[in-house]
Amino acid sequence: MTSTGTTAAPSSTQIVSEDDVLRVQDLRLNFYTPLGVVRALNGVSFNIPRGKVLGVVGESGCGKSQTGMAVMQLTPSVGRYEGGNVLFQEFAGKQPIDILKLEKNGAEMRHIRGNNISMIFQEPMTSLNPCYTIGNQIEEAILLHQTQDKDEAHKRAIDVLQKVGMPNPERISASFPHQLSGGMRQRAMIAMALSCTPTLLIADEPTTALDVTTEAQILDLMRDLQHEIGTSIMFITHNLGVVAQMCDEVAVMYLGRVVERATIDDLFYDPKHPYTILLMRSIPRLGVNHGERLESIKGSVPDPYSRVTGCPFHPRCPSAIPGVCEVIEPVEQFVEGSTSHTVRCHLYT
Amino acid sequence: MATQVPGDDILLEVKGLKKHFPITGGLMRRVIGQVKAVDGINFYIKKGETLGLVGESGCGKSTTGRTVLRLYDPTAGEIMFNDPNLGKVDLAKVDSATLKKIRPNMQIIFQDPFSSLNPRMTVRNIIGEPLMIQNTLSGQALTDRVAELLDEVGIRPENMTRYPHAFSGGQRQRLGIARALALNPKLIICDEPVSALDVSIQAQVLNLLEDLQKKYDLTYLFIAHDLSVVEHIADRVSVMYVGYMVEMAATDKLYYTPKHPYTEALLASIPKPDPRNRNRPLKLPGDVPSPANPPSGCYFHPRCRYAEDICKTERPPLRDIGGEHWVACHFAEKLQLQGVTKLGEMPLVSLPTRQPPASAPIAPATAAE
Repeated sequence: MTSTGTTAAPSSTQIVSEDDVLRVQDLRLNFYTPLGVVRALNGVSFNIPRGKVLGVVGESGCGKSQTGMAVMQLTPSVGRYEGGNVLFQEFAGKQPIDILKLEKNGAEMRHIRGNNISMIFQEPMTSLNPCYTIGNQIEEAILLHQTQDKDEAHKRAIDVLQKVGMPNPERISASFPHQLSGGMRQRAMIAMALSCTPTLLIADEPTTALDVTTEAQILDLMRDLQHEIGTSIMFITHNLGVVAQMCDEVAVMYLGRVVERATIDDLFYDPKHPYTILLMRSIPRLGVNHGERLESIKGSVPDPYSRVTGCPFHPRCPSAIPGVCEVIEPVEQFVEGSTSHTVRCHLYT
Repeated sequence: MATQVPGDDILLEVKGLKKHFPITGGLMRRVIGQVKAVDGINFYIKKGETLGLVGESGCGKSTTGRTVLRLYDPTAGEIMFNDPNLGKVDLAKVDSATLKKIRPNMQIIFQDPFSSLNPRMTVRNIIGEPLMIQNTLSGQALTDRVAELLDEVGIRPENMTRYPHAFSGGQRQRLGIARALALNPKLIICDEPVSALDVSIQAQVLNLLEDLQKKYDLTYLFIAHDLSVVEHIADRVSVMYVGYMVEMAATDKLYYTPKHPYTEALLASIPKPDPRNRNRPLKLPGDVPSPANPPSGCYFHPRCRYAEDICKTERPPLRDIGGEHWVACHFAEKLQLQGVTKLGEMPLVSLPTRQPPASAPIAPATAAE
């Protein structure tokens, strides 16, 4: 069987920069549900160089959000890690910590969560507590990790609200989430995530629920803050436009695997995996394909309980090689002549 | 200010349409205010074309779509529909018996394929329901028609006895399209038909909608917030802001030579899928105002960088500045606004060619190590 563990990317094909904030190696995660086993992550490997923005792209059900959750150890209780590690290095020279080895609710994990690694969720209405003011919720993290002094915490909360461009931070700090608009709530979420100046920020579809003009404001804000604070960001999204605007490097995921990793320029100008190529060709582009037919990917993502043999993309791939792709799962390997571009596809072996 | 374009090729003409929702409060649930979701809009759709309707959430685009179908009763205004049998009818005034006769000619596709299909009905009953209500078909004839419709949208007719939960998001949206097609409508309101779908599925559904339009000579009112999708599918586009239409023009004109500052800001905000072309968006300060308490004058003036004194007091009417380019701005002729820049240079990479398995250097032995 191809998915029993023999297909892990050999360490020689790992892209490893000298100073990585996060290194995820061969992460495997299964969900044991009453309806069957869902293989959510099947050997996910990637790294985030310090101070960079890594985009994690894929369609719903590809495991991109679960990867983010795993880094925070927020995986639901039906999930079990079947292997792999998540190495987090707070600053250069420090011994990396394997997050998955820590007690889920232990002191060490709680120290990291929200302090060194923080997260922005997709839907700001459901991820803010409706019963507490914005100020309370930001102060909670500061009081937990940074200072015991309530006045100091309040001052810092106001500071960080100002930093995310809130027009009247004192008033906002005293308001409840329902009193704010969607864009304001997302700003409050960002303020909360940045309140402890984290080393790594996981942004899980932070702009998906927002309108274009608000989305542009939030992306602009995240870019500015990233330059200012130097936080590394793992940016999870399905929107290729947002990826092109925000990220330095990209990992494309399909059915719980990273199928292609490249710098942003390589990914858009020299994509290799048929899935990436087809994704690029299926998005409507302004001024390019008005009135023409869009190219689409045939079929749809298989249901999560089923297992696909060989390459997970082969049933939808127009370039599949008969007799090979449905049998053998491709391993991750470098594109010829590159040290930063990997692909999991038989067409390049 | 009325958008008068005479001629028989107009399928739907909306004049001064208003839809206000009351805000109630207090002990007696008295009406204490009005949400002016749609506040006097004018537009028209020609036969066989696609009119895109864009705007931010809460601007009234879905309310417009639903009011046109009389799913909501309009507060004021005219909705002239050119019915093939009854001729021009004002939908805002007709009685319910006449409305039922007109309904087969206008249908709607909803945004969320998970909540718009009844989970307790089989696919046959969901798609056949409009046919049953209109008493056109029953029994085997109905089954045959449903099979034909399913085939049309690319779902195997054997699946007719299944329930919606057995289908994926893209397939459910196809079922919604089949239901809308059941009575051979003239006009279909597409209310964000692809925004709940994944990128790869979105392209399939857009292509399907375009194919069906050609085949059945359909007219679409395509409501969406994704400007790239609208640019792809629409012949003309209209832009709404807080219940008011601010610009309406042919797609190319609107995207390349916008005349309203809001359109300009909207276009500049689109994240472009090209890393070599990173845009710093025009800062559009503040938030969309509440339709319950809109600003004075031009609703856009507090956020507009070109605003002058007249904008604070006088609401500009929607007027034709030439060549069917309708704009609601006092300074439409004077402003030099920037449209989208062409993204033509970026290559579309073609798929790698298939290698014959014999010469493929992957022997099973090497990969199984």
